[in-house]
Amino acid sequence: MNLITTRDLKKTYLMGDSEVHAVDDISFSIDKGEFLAITGPSGSGKSTLLNLLGCLDAPTSGHVFIDGEDTSRLSSHELTRVRRESIGFVFQEFNLLPVMSALENVELPLRYLGKGARERDSLAREALEKVGLANRAKNKPSQLSGGERQRVAIARALVTNPTLVLADEPTGELDTYNTCRVIEIMRILNEDLGQTFAVVTHDPMVAGYTGRVISLRDGKIDSDATQQPAPLSCEDLARHT
Amino acid sequence: MIKYVLKNMWQRKARTFLTVLGIVVGIFALTVLGGLSARLNQQVKGSESWFTSNITVVPSGGSLFGGSDKFFELSKVREIQGVPGVQTATAGIGVLLNDSQNFSFGAPDLVIGLDMNNGNDLLAQIPLQSGRLIRKGDSGKVVLGSNLAKKLNVKVGDTVNLRGTPFEVVGIFQVTLSAPDQFAFVPYADSLALFRNANPFLQTKDLASVVYVRWKPGVGPEALSRRIGREVSGVRVISPAQAKQQISQFSLIFNAILLGVGLIALIVGGLSIINTMIMSVSERTREIGLKKAVGADTGSILGEYLLESAMIGFIGGLIGTGLGVVAIKLINSATGTKQVTVFAVSTFVVIGPIVFATVLGALAGVFPALRAARLRPVDALKED
Repeated sequence: MNLITTRDLKKTYLMGDSEVHAVDDISFSIDKGEFLAITGPSGSGKSTLLNLLGCLDAPTSGHVFIDGEDTSRLSSHELTRVRRESIGFVFQEFNLLPVMSALENVELPLRYLGKGARERDSLAREALEKVGLANRAKNKPSQLSGGERQRVAIARALVTNPTLVLADEPTGELDTYNTCRVIEIMRILNEDLGQTFAVVTHDPMVAGYTGRVISLRDGKIDSDATQQPAPLSCEDLARHT
Repeated sequence: MIKYVLKNMWQRKARTFLTVLGIVVGIFALTVLGGLSARLNQQVKGSESWFTSNITVVPSGGSLFGGSDKFFELSKVREIQGVPGVQTATAGIGVLLNDSQNFSFGAPDLVIGLDMNNGNDLLAQIPLQSGRLIRKGDSGKVVLGSNLAKKLNVKVGDTVNLRGTPFEVVGIFQVTLSAPDQFAFVPYADSLALFRNANPFLQTKDLASVVYVRWKPGVGPEALSRRIGREVSGVRVISPAQAKQQISQFSLIFNAILLGVGLIALIVGGLSIINTMIMSVSERTREIGLKKAVGADTGSILGEYLLESAMIGFIGGLIGTGLGVVAIKLINSATGTKQVTVFAVSTFVVIGPIVFATVLGALAGVFPALRAARLRPVDALKED
């Protein structure tokens, strides 16, 4: 069943006098429960596409359907609701709030959902446990390693139990071992909870661990192929490095 | 949310401190000046109650307090006494205690000699703290207003020097927070002597610089004032309503100056809040983008930043008022040897500035907060 469908999706920027087609007429679908990678050289439009899928940005023309709802017709207020209820984000720079503890960072989306303090606390602890950071709940981001920070960010993306998790270069600032750990956690969550993951990456290793790779070039889909995900063994990697 | 806002403020200690300091200075100024004006108002209100329970008649061109060098003859007093509706007309001679008086709130320090034939009617309005009133036939005796007694540091039985003449203190009035607190009441003949010493070329034996008129029951003081003005020539009649107006005009101008100074200080403080909040917003643009991405709507971002700026105002107001009240107490106790209370602390002086600073902070935050709330998430996330 289709979770996301785009139809004739276009995003055009004006750079000086010339128009840049960051996303140029893209139509494709993502099924529920997929774990896919969006790759391509820099400037190919992969982040722009992710922002359009995640309702962070509005298309110039065309449509994005999430669970059958045409998001290109929604007001910014309604887009906020869709993000809040259905989508989790993971960013390259983690984007954790520095003054909050790991636990409080994970609780943040629940606040905007209007959950009470006790429910927030228990859901956030549960999410931290899923990413293996239950013992780091009280730590500030500055006291965590890069890999740990990204896992906190993943816990934050998952805590509302969204149908779709979008990750923009989630391993861009991590070493090989931590990259593997992050992907491993995403894959386990994908398999166990059936959440849909779309990961923008330029790292072929990351793309290799997913079940489908969409490759973009100049704002258009260059290739779209399903594959057998490569086996993961982060401990082996740790031994090699 | 408050905890988070406080943490953010703590994160930028130096800047938060300086911004709060701006508000502290403004509120401090407002509190101290407010205390000054509250004190002024108390005193002015007091003067009012004295001057509005009598009709004051002075020579044409004379002032409300009757302490000028203008005078009229006692025949004028008898004329006033004859006006229908007048209960008593008490002649008095007012002489300034010091010719070069410093600027004072309300009434100046004044030696008033009252005609003892009916002067006690007038004085009996004021309760005594100790001693007795002046009696008919007394000479060289004085009853002091409470403030004057404190200022001169005397008690009943002591001798005070008024304009070079020794007087025995026979009574001290209770605090009335009104004009008579600054007055020294002496027998008519004694103040006449003081007056003649001060004006050696006037060799008149019977004169008055002020006449206090009390009205008969059932007579309207305003109507009576007009009647006296019509029937007696060469006098200026100050009715209770006019006295009140004259006094409140004086205090209005003074209050306006004081509050104006405080407000200017606060506007500067408010601008510094706006500045700080704009900096906060641009520093945390990415955070705002993140919050929007995870589902914060415009309202919650707006609320968060408004809370922060209101908090700066509130803390500044709290500290500023605290310091202001401490300063007022210190100044009051430092001037305590003279027992002159310069400042009064009222509930309004304490609560007013805190509420005001909080509201000011919130208002100053509106523009930066709107800027933050209206950011598009995709743009905000791109920011470094």
